[in-house]
Amino acid sequence: MDTTLGEEEVMIRESARKFLEAKCPTKLVRAMEKDEKGYPPELWKEAAELGWQGLALPEEYGGSALPLTYLGLVMQEVGRALAPLPLLSTVSAALTLAEYGDKALCETVLPKVVTGDCILTWAFTEQDPRYLPETVRLSAVADGDDFVLNGTKLFVENFVVADLCLVVCRTSDSGLSVYLVDAGSPGISHRPLTTLAKDKQSEVTFTNVRVPRGRLVGTLNQGAEVAQFMIDRATALLCAQMLGATRKDMEMAVEWSKFRKAFGQPIGAFQSLQHMCADMLMWVDGGDLLTFEALWKMDEGLPAYVEVSQAKAFCNEKCQAVVRSCQVIHGGIGFIMEFDLQLWYRRVCAWTTRLGTAYEHRARIAEALLDHPGQVILGQPVPVLEDA
Amino acid sequence: MDFGYSPEQQALRREVQDFIGANITEAVKAEMSDLNEGFGVSPGRHNSPNINALFKKIHARGWLGISYPKEYGGQGGDRMTAYIVEEEFARADISVGLNGSGAPAIMAAGTEQQKQYFLPKLITGEYSFALGFTEPHAGADLASLQCRAVRDGEHYVINGQKMYTSSAHSATHIYLMARTNPNLPKHRGISIFLFPMDTPGITVRPLWTMQNDPKAPLGTTYGTPRTNETFFEEVRIPAACLLGKENEGWRVGAMGLNLDRVGAARYLISVRRDEDIVNFVKSNNFDGYVPKQNPAIRDKIAELWIEAQVCRLMTMRSMSIVEHGGNFTYEGSAEKTWAPEHGVRTTEAIAQMLGPYGQLLNGSPHAVESGVFAHNLQGAFQSGINHGSTQVMRDQVARRGLDMPRK
Repeated sequence: MDTTLGEEEVMIRESARKFLEAKCPTKLVRAMEKDEKGYPPELWKEAAELGWQGLALPEEYGGSALPLTYLGLVMQEVGRALAPLPLLSTVSAALTLAEYGDKALCETVLPKVVTGDCILTWAFTEQDPRYLPETVRLSAVADGDDFVLNGTKLFVENFVVADLCLVVCRTSDSGLSVYLVDAGSPGISHRPLTTLAKDKQSEVTFTNVRVPRGRLVGTLNQGAEVAQFMIDRATALLCAQMLGATRKDMEMAVEWSKFRKAFGQPIGAFQSLQHMCADMLMWVDGGDLLTFEALWKMDEGLPAYVEVSQAKAFCNEKCQAVVRSCQVIHGGIGFIMEFDLQLWYRRVCAWTTRLGTAYEHRARIAEALLDHPGQVILGQPVPVLEDA
Repeated sequence: MDFGYSPEQQALRREVQDFIGANITEAVKAEMSDLNEGFGVSPGRHNSPNINALFKKIHARGWLGISYPKEYGGQGGDRMTAYIVEEEFARADISVGLNGSGAPAIMAAGTEQQKQYFLPKLITGEYSFALGFTEPHAGADLASLQCRAVRDGEHYVINGQKMYTSSAHSATHIYLMARTNPNLPKHRGISIFLFPMDTPGITVRPLWTMQNDPKAPLGTTYGTPRTNETFFEEVRIPAACLLGKENEGWRVGAMGLNLDRVGAARYLISVRRDEDIVNFVKSNNFDGYVPKQNPAIRDKIAELWIEAQVCRLMTMRSMSIVEHGGNFTYEGSAEKTWAPEHGVRTTEAIAQMLGPYGQLLNGSPHAVESGVFAHNLQGAFQSGINHGSTQVMRDQVARRGLDMPRK
């Protein structure tokens, strides 16, 4: 048991921070909000040179096979800098492909992901926004050597720049299947959504889109498991990204409070404000601990869905509260567009709504706590293991 | 980062669990119930043959004073090993740690002679300290304390009053903070003294708490039925009773307090009700009303569970920092804010889950789990007051953790 960072972990964090401080000023973040692609290809290539896309991918595909906790440290820095990179959607899909895809498919796709020559995304959600298998209606029907997809996905990240998209489809009344679909396939149309984060999300419509059988990822009708694997990783990594952004936001507010004067003293000397800031620090630290425990458990191959949900439910509410408090500490200037603070505020708010609300995640935790036999003990696995 | 326990640590945990299963007999439990002082039972001078025999066995296993050096009666083990043993025993309402014992401060600031004299006997419970910090007019602002210690040749003479000296009626010694120089700024004129409670001139008067009648069941968060006020009139003690240097007692005391704020005991008193309510709700109903099917209760239980995990992880963080030989700056204060406030949120939420059953005290017909949830309403908030209030703790988090200005 050791919650502190080791030497290598500190190095990963420091090098990512230095790189983004040099290469990703807020000027770039602002420019990408108005950019058609929403990301700078040069920065994406440089990130690939640092090995970010392939950090946790197997070595046989050119990856570095490092733990997810390391990738979490990078995601924190990406969040801290608000780096406009399609990294979260790419690594979530790539990790899933590496786990469930057959070797031939992985060999075609993953080396290109590692070199930054292939952007990935994935599509699960439709009109019902919950992350439950029964919400998936988009159908995939066998037809000769292909499957034919019909339906509409919502909130698909980075679809405008993605080369490939992992699409979760309904293939039987009770079965889902996951296909790797070329984003430019005939029959696909998409339109952009305007998000609080001003990042790229799309509604993607599939009309008789043909996908070869070889693009099935995992087993036919067993796609719910594949989707859950992907969503859990994406969720934990999104938490890391949110926490990186939220901690930076907090630091800016604390700095501000040390210099901004009112009633003859820095506002940061008022206890009411100090106590707000103390809460912020406890919340961000708490989120970090929950998130990295979840990532660590996944690295160890242990069940981690409860830990993922703990992290996301906590971050959804606490990160939101922190960035709101940071706005309060800054006063009026905080919501003026030419001041940078709003860049962090809008993104963190948006991220709290994605990949499961606090209610959904708590429902998952409650199920694990209450609907399985055995006495629960903090620090021991939940649901309680049957042989315990 | 490593969020797991080593195979040795896991084996140790199982060994302690097996020991508890085999040795906490009904006879021991009955004695613990009679003895109940509202905390886990510590080794000490009890008139309870079964409890005393149990602690002899625990000592023989090497599970007392684990993280203290062998030359002072400890085991020379690491803090995490101590933590695991303390956690398992605390779940059985047995206290094998040295929280609130004065031992951390003696280890940090004592003379060789004081260490030899006190530590081995603190570890076995032969000696124990009442903590003499708070006064009628010095609580959160402890440094404004007025109890006086005046040097007189090779002695000090103590005069004054201490409040909430919880174990003064049973402790062998007192760990006293007194003013030795009233002319220095308030933090700098304070010293700490260690001396026997049977020194002439000491009077102990009980202060009974809300938990006294009926007595809180074992495991209640701050189920303490009694604390005390203690008076010192011309109490003459040898100069060798001084701990650390004269007028430097504030630093010594703060060191000991900081170490008392973290660890298995503090963690568990804040989270045991979380486990209790989950385990109660998952297998109980009231005449067909099944609380676990209530969506509001499910959501609240999950929310509290997450908070409890943060309590655990914050404790693990403090342990990790100590394991690396570091000192926690703000982290202990953060834990001492988050965990007690969480305990209160859980306790109050449970009252709303159980409705009128949540107000039934120990021994009442229809009381749930011996009334522990009702008794917790009288105790949980005390955790946010004792050993530094959460308000003072937040000041420290802001100032030490975020470097926020005093003025």
